[in-house]
Amino acid sequence: MTKAKNQQEEEKLKILIVDDNEQITKMLTTFLELNDHECTVASDGSEGLKRIKENNYDVILLDLAMPEFDGYSVIKDLEDNNMLKDQRIIVFTASTITQDELDDLVKRGVSAYILKPIDIDILHSKLKEIAKL
Amino acid sequence: MLSIKITLFLVSGVSSFIIFYMGIVNFLTSVEETTGMILLIFSVFVATGTLLATVNISRNITLPIEKLTQDMKQFSSTNKASKREPLKTNVSEIFQLNEDFKKMEQKVEKTIELTNDYVEKLKEVDRKKIEFSSMVSHELKTPLVPILGYVQMLQKKNFLGELNDKQLDAVNEIHSATVRLQRLVGDILTTQKLDLGKLDFNKEESNVLELLNSVIKEFHPIAEEKKILLEMNFNENISIFTDKDRISQVFSNLIKNSIDFVPKSGGIITIGAKDCGDVVEFLVRDNGSGMSTENQKDIFKKFYQIDTSTSRKRSGSGLGLAICKGIVEGLGGKIWVESKINEQTTFYFTIPKKPTISSTNNELNNKISN
Repeated sequence: MTKAKNQQEEEKLKILIVDDNEQITKMLTTFLELNDHECTVASDGSEGLKRIKENNYDVILLDLAMPEFDGYSVIKDLEDNNMLKDQRIIVFTASTITQDELDDLVKRGVSAYILKPIDIDILHSKLKEIAKL
Repeated sequence: MLSIKITLFLVSGVSSFIIFYMGIVNFLTSVEETTGMILLIFSVFVATGTLLATVNISRNITLPIEKLTQDMKQFSSTNKASKREPLKTNVSEIFQLNEDFKKMEQKVEKTIELTNDYVEKLKEVDRKKIEFSSMVSHELKTPLVPILGYVQMLQKKNFLGELNDKQLDAVNEIHSATVRLQRLVGDILTTQKLDLGKLDFNKEESNVLELLNSVIKEFHPIAEEKKILLEMNFNENISIFTDKDRISQVFSNLIKNSIDFVPKSGGIITIGAKDCGDVVEFLVRDNGSGMSTENQKDIFKKFYQIDTSTSRKRSGSGLGLAICKGIVEGLGGKIWVESKINEQTTFYFTIPKKPTISSTNNELNNKISN
């Protein structure tokens, strides 16, 4: 598949990345912008939450493990404000999480999860799936 | 067994009776009445004296010994020096015995307390150690995310620009090394979870044939590439209530091992299963170099490598089989190996068909306490 063809098929998405690790957000931004998506970065949970409430994003990439205000807290806050179902969230998580916890997150309204280290091909295909919703 | 008290009373009773009896006999047969009377009274005195002496001995020796025996019994069952009535005795040997016992009791109690303290401390150190290494492994994982991401981007022609063949070669090498590192970190984390009894199993009704088919499908490409014949020896309809992803992981680790050991040409790997009533017995067999009985005992230990020379061609973490063992035992089964040098090696593992209560946690606790 050529890139030109790819671009025509794909929708341009407005994406928010919430992760405290700068190297990871930079890599993700590079990758997503090369796919012609528009990226915004929030470096912690509270900043991410503020942006989610003020803007409309097509997809939110959320790291669960962050110091202080973590991904779980973001999800909890959105849930309490009845906003979780309106968002398309992909969470990043380490393999320490149990399958039950992941199932629970999906049941509550998280769109998808990706286990770290993030495979950009998997991220790409998940974004495609979610964009269709 | 005879007690001192009974023996004492028996002996003194019998002897007083004999003395008294002789006194009576003397009294009845004596020619002179006065002599008979004196002998009778004398015998009564001696008999009574013997009995009184016995009672006295009993009070001073046997009673304290009985009490001491009781105290020792109580101590050996509780291991605690309890407060109790002082021993009443005027026999110096028994008094000394009791004093020494009291000293010993306190020493033993202190030693036990110290040992328990050490066990607790060791448990704590062990927990901290596992927590620390778990944290380190997580920290190792974070930088892997951007490394893998950029390498993947470099491998794609239309992302960061096209690389020449040599550059692409280098990037591919970096990629495979990164994947290996990632797998190693993953293996370490899995082992730690097994050690802590934290590995969770998602058991569900699974079909054995489907499970084996998915394993074959996963390894078909690599077997073809390495010209290894990968066969399946099973065609039954058995269902099993277990965690099929974890079983696939066991198969995957065993097959990866086999791939490293089969001959360069004519390598054969067979996987199979057998219905054994309550359990299903799975197997992975290869026609590789085999291993000695000596090695068979140790291969399930962590970080064990058969060939420890630096020139070894294998590059595994040494955790694969330890993980297999942990998973199989966590699912309530057993794993073992049978091998003949230069002929073949077969790994067997059993998995119960019906759910069992996982005993990993208890076993771990027992291991620590022991």
